[in-house]
Amino acid sequence: MDAKDILGLPKNSFPALEKKSRPHKESHRKPDGISREVYALTGGVPPLMPSLDSSQLKKKPPSHEKITWQWLPFTNSARKDNLQLYHWVRVVNGVPPTGDYSFAKYNKSVDVVKYTDEEYDKYLTDPMWTKEETNQLFDLCQRFDLRFIIIADRFPSSRTVEELKDRYYSVSRAILIARASSTGDVATHPLVKEPYNVSQEIERKRALSMVLSQTRQQERRDEEVLVEAKRIAELRMPAKAVEESQLAPSNAGAEVTGRAVPGETASPSNAQLPSITFPDNASTLASLRILRVYLRTYALDQMVQATSSSAGPRTVKRIEQTLLDLGVNLKPRVPTKAVCAEHLELRKEMLTLLNLQKQVQYKEAEGSPFRDGSYNEAPGTPKDWTFIPDTMNFGGERVSKKDQKRKGHGHPSSSAHKRPRKKASEF
Amino acid sequence: MTNSSSSKKHGQDQPELSGPTPKSHRTKMGKSEDTDKKNLGKKLKDVEISVPIVYGNIAFWLGKKASEYQSHKWTVYVRGASNEDLGAIVKRAVFQLHSSFNNPTRVVESPPFELSEAGWGEFEIVITLHFHSDVCDKPLNLYHHLKLYPEDENSSMSTKKPVVVELYDEIVFPDPSEAFLSRVQNHPAVNVPRLPPGVTLPPPIPVEDASKRRKGDTKDHPLSQWFTNFSEADELLQLAAARQQVQAHIAKLRRQISLIDGQHHQYFKSSSDQ
Repeated sequence: MDAKDILGLPKNSFPALEKKSRPHKESHRKPDGISREVYALTGGVPPLMPSLDSSQLKKKPPSHEKITWQWLPFTNSARKDNLQLYHWVRVVNGVPPTGDYSFAKYNKSVDVVKYTDEEYDKYLTDPMWTKEETNQLFDLCQRFDLRFIIIADRFPSSRTVEELKDRYYSVSRAILIARASSTGDVATHPLVKEPYNVSQEIERKRALSMVLSQTRQQERRDEEVLVEAKRIAELRMPAKAVEESQLAPSNAGAEVTGRAVPGETASPSNAQLPSITFPDNASTLASLRILRVYLRTYALDQMVQATSSSAGPRTVKRIEQTLLDLGVNLKPRVPTKAVCAEHLELRKEMLTLLNLQKQVQYKEAEGSPFRDGSYNEAPGTPKDWTFIPDTMNFGGERVSKKDQKRKGHGHPSSSAHKRPRKKASEF
Repeated sequence: MTNSSSSKKHGQDQPELSGPTPKSHRTKMGKSEDTDKKNLGKKLKDVEISVPIVYGNIAFWLGKKASEYQSHKWTVYVRGASNEDLGAIVKRAVFQLHSSFNNPTRVVESPPFELSEAGWGEFEIVITLHFHSDVCDKPLNLYHHLKLYPEDENSSMSTKKPVVVELYDEIVFPDPSEAFLSRVQNHPAVNVPRLPPGVTLPPPIPVEDASKRRKGDTKDHPLSQWFTNFSEADELLQLAAARQQVQAHIAKLRRQISLIDGQHHQYFKSSSDQ
């Protein structure tokens, strides 16, 4: 901002996200307590939630106390060796602060179970594990706070992380249960409630690594499959609700199970599904049926939306304009079943018409390198005729809109139609 | 009576519900009640029941008697499109008024489903229709913006000629239960399509005591002179004409496209010969 000042360039206004007074305000004012350069670091806009009251920044420390800083020794209760180190200490009125070293409280460790030999012999023997190995494992667990990756690395014999975890947790669990006076006491302990499941863990990690190592292409393919499955599931759901208990339970696999088996999810084996080629109509009808009661106007609205979902907003506007030109109400005044059906069909036909018009335009454009001659000569060529702006000028090439009667079709147009054909044959 | 409205499919001209159920009939049904109960829940596929309704309001300016807070007297209502009794379908109607009214939630337990009030302001009224248990257990909402002042600002307000806004719509039950179907099969307020062949319905069970009910239709309603007669004929004509035009234009374009394709083919051929 200062650079702009120097160069004499005008300051640009900030986007008007805030109230109107904002851009006006920030260039003239800044909160007191911070220097202008510091304030400018924030973009010249005060923070949403001031973390520090700016009036505090200029506050002086309480002056009625006498503060000195002294280089004093201290001990750390977290250490076991009584090492004495020195550091600066803030002394107030000659009284040094009391209390333990402030970081000692962070010295936490895991309570690793300690078993006696008898306990081992009684509860913890295992064919896969020797006593020595188990002892080593527990020692490492104690030293490294159950960081199993490190423990696995340092373990003398090669054991997988899952095996180590399994051994540790089952031993702890057994000890816990053995030591408890009754089973009820420990039933809520997480170790007892949810024992470690080795096979599940192995499987989970494998799946995870698969996901991680997927190439981009595989990722895209998986996405597509999932989207497809979701779409099918959604189509299936209203049909399923309507069919009630008719569906076989296997079709309940509309849920996406594991990514490990993507093939399953994309199986549209359900023949009861309404045809996917017309998802609009069928699924709208299905979703209407779920409502159990609805108004005809609402239903028409949904169906109209479904049909125009494939068209852009401009096309929809053109359809509506054409409807008005033809004297048709955008929303029928007497929406009976027949009227609504006709209205819907009319809209669909208009969509077809517009698409055809576009088609003709493209084809004309394609053909223009070949038809240079005929284009410029015939005044009422199809080009004029089909490049109809928003309204439907049926027979009218150069006829003014005022004269244009709505119901007047084009006999003139059919003759214009014939003319270029003749020209073409001349080549 | 002007009855040229949209309900075209109703059978005989029976103004009331299908007759009273004699006691003997009732006890007979009592024996096979279980199977009947199961059947009552059964729904027929592809049979859609629709009830044409008209809802809206009529508002009278109070003229000399108007005060600042009560300048108009208005009635909001839901009626059958042909003024038939909606009581066979609708159990009660709840009109939710603006919060400035006393007890803004007004419940009307029997037809005609209408509510009259006095006020000065226009606001949205939510009309919730609750149906009988065999019809539908979910209520339906209608939204109507109360209109008191005439559209044309310059036209003077008269105490004799009210402002009327009526909207036509149809309540559709896509999956009616057999009980509902049999009950209203010949009811004039309801459009019941032809049943698929070979389908027989259980005997109808009335949902309310027929003798208790008073007349619920709006044929002789005091305001009936202001009711609009909605006819689908005009709209159908308009739509048919529009469709014809569009179809003709489509045909023309299709011809044109095939013509152009033919020409392109020709040119390609000729240019390759050169």
